[in-house]
Amino acid sequence: MQKKKQGGKLWLAAAPLYLFTLLFVAGPLVYMVILSFQTRAEGYGVLNVFTLDNYKKILDPVYLETFGQSFRLAVTSTLIIAGIGYPFGYFMAKCSPKWKKRLMMLIMIPFWTSSLIRLYGWMIILQAKGALYQTLHFLGMDIAPLKILYSYPAVVIGMVYALLPFMMLAVYSSAEKMDWSLVEAARDLGASPVKAFLTVTLKLTMPGLLSGVILTFVPSMGLFFIADLLGGNKIVLVGNLIQDQLTRGADWPFAAALAVVLMVMTSLIIFLYRKVTHSTELEGIL
Amino acid sequence: MRKRMYGGLLATAMAMALALTGCGNTSGAGTENGTQPAQGEDAQTAQEQGDGQELVLYTWDLMFPDEILEGFEEETGIEVVYSKFDTDEAMLQKLSTADGGDYDLIFADDYIIETAIEQGLVQELDPSKLENYENIDSRYQGQFYDPEDAYTVPYGAGIPLIVYDPELVDFEITGYADLWNESLTDSVALVANGRVITGITLLSMGESMNTEDTAVIEEAGQKLLQLAPNVRLIQDDNTQNALLNGEASVAFLYTSQVYAALQENPDLRVVVPEEGLGFGVIAGFIPSKAPNSEAAYQFLDYILDAENSAACTQYVGYYSTNTAGEELIPEEVSQLLVAPEGKTMEMVENVSQEANDVYNKVWTEFKAACD
Repeated sequence: MQKKKQGGKLWLAAAPLYLFTLLFVAGPLVYMVILSFQTRAEGYGVLNVFTLDNYKKILDPVYLETFGQSFRLAVTSTLIIAGIGYPFGYFMAKCSPKWKKRLMMLIMIPFWTSSLIRLYGWMIILQAKGALYQTLHFLGMDIAPLKILYSYPAVVIGMVYALLPFMMLAVYSSAEKMDWSLVEAARDLGASPVKAFLTVTLKLTMPGLLSGVILTFVPSMGLFFIADLLGGNKIVLVGNLIQDQLTRGADWPFAAALAVVLMVMTSLIIFLYRKVTHSTELEGIL
Repeated sequence: MRKRMYGGLLATAMAMALALTGCGNTSGAGTENGTQPAQGEDAQTAQEQGDGQELVLYTWDLMFPDEILEGFEEETGIEVVYSKFDTDEAMLQKLSTADGGDYDLIFADDYIIETAIEQGLVQELDPSKLENYENIDSRYQGQFYDPEDAYTVPYGAGIPLIVYDPELVDFEITGYADLWNESLTDSVALVANGRVITGITLLSMGESMNTEDTAVIEEAGQKLLQLAPNVRLIQDDNTQNALLNGEASVAFLYTSQVYAALQENPDLRVVVPEEGLGFGVIAGFIPSKAPNSEAAYQFLDYILDAENSAACTQYVGYYSTNTAGEELIPEEVSQLLVAPEGKTMEMVENVSQEANDVYNKVWTEFKAACD
């Protein structure tokens, strides 16, 4: 009896949180879904008339291609990030506690600066006669001014740079938790280092790697400002298209439809992740 | 046309902000009465009248020099509250939410003003309240967004032009068509306004920038795709920097950016394209339910004054829309601040939804093809 009553009170304590979530997370989402089925008014605003045209419009090859572009970029970035981030997280977990702290600091410090400012830093480095060019020149290389900025590789560099820490941290936290004596046991039983890694370490750190993949893949579908700044607007991602439609294009319902499709896509990826790993949480983050 | 002036002007603005008090756009504390040295009687009475009043000015950042804002406060005693927006669309959204209230005076781009007027968010202007009304350059009046001049006062005009570095380009550029030249592979910087870029493509085809014929727009889209290999970047902010730091050798820039680029590197060459010009106007209007429209009239009149207008023009770097002010602009910069004569000029206007959809699509396709 007593317990039940307390439970009721606890629910009350959490009520503001539920209300907040309902109002500011679910509310806008519902609004967006509704908006995506409405009709754009001639001139300005939206008419309350049901239509599927916004979704039909996405099937136009020009717009479909932006999803393709986003997907390709996300896959490329995620693969590179996994390639760099996994070994980093793995070796970091094997470091002495003192070095772990130091490395952790190195990962965290850039977060103290706005990511936009850090991107401008990359622009200065990659510019035609920027820091990279100056350095190469100083080292005696006689090269033409660089043409890296405002290209696809520049955008990939920006994506990798922005999202790498998430992979490192996810892999680190799962490698850190791992019972290394299992690796030793495998080695004692005659497994080669490679085989021990593949059958024991990799398997046990897989949740970390996969959550790192989720944490990089999903945001990289949406980081449109990187494509804006480093890609010189030439790499059109879904995010860029949505922004375009909300401002100068003045087609909010179409923007909403694009956002809904993007959201469904990323939800599917998270759903797949759960199916594969049977986990309900993202390793290392939650 | 999208106007941004953050460019090289930022440096100028910062210098000004340092020279004058503070960096805010609202009044400095020192300009309130009481702390002033003795003033003429007129100013004193005016100040007493305006005492405690507020003018909520809503526009982009860096649209008025501090000396003008402070001069106005000193002369009238009205405190200027400078409220900023990033995009025309954001402005319209807020004004629409406020149902035409909250703001006393707004400066924005032509096309969005047309929409605001259609939405009933703008009040009619009474020119008799503006002593300096006749200073307005009639070339910028009677335009599509306000054909009867019933609502707006032009503040500045923008005409995007081609600027190039003659050291890096080995032929003379005379018009838009030259942007397609094969020798310019990966070296052209463009502003990121789809209607403007599609517009100059249409001009180069001898069509109107505002055509609603979807077949013609599609054709322009095809022509744009051929421009794609030459495009180095598409960007609205500080596009002139690409030219200054060697990223691009040719750029198609907004007026304020042309001005900023030339201030930085006078050797750059400016081309007034032979095919004709596109232009846009920044104009001021009073919202339908402005809390203090009288203050708005006073401010409009203040900046229409020849001397003040010249100061504003030199600060924002747009073409003067004030004939009296034009004469006071120093010769060394007047070429960049007084619009070229004798060219056909066309404004980018709002088009039908159907045409707009095609413009949007063509623009997205072009951008993606530039990669």
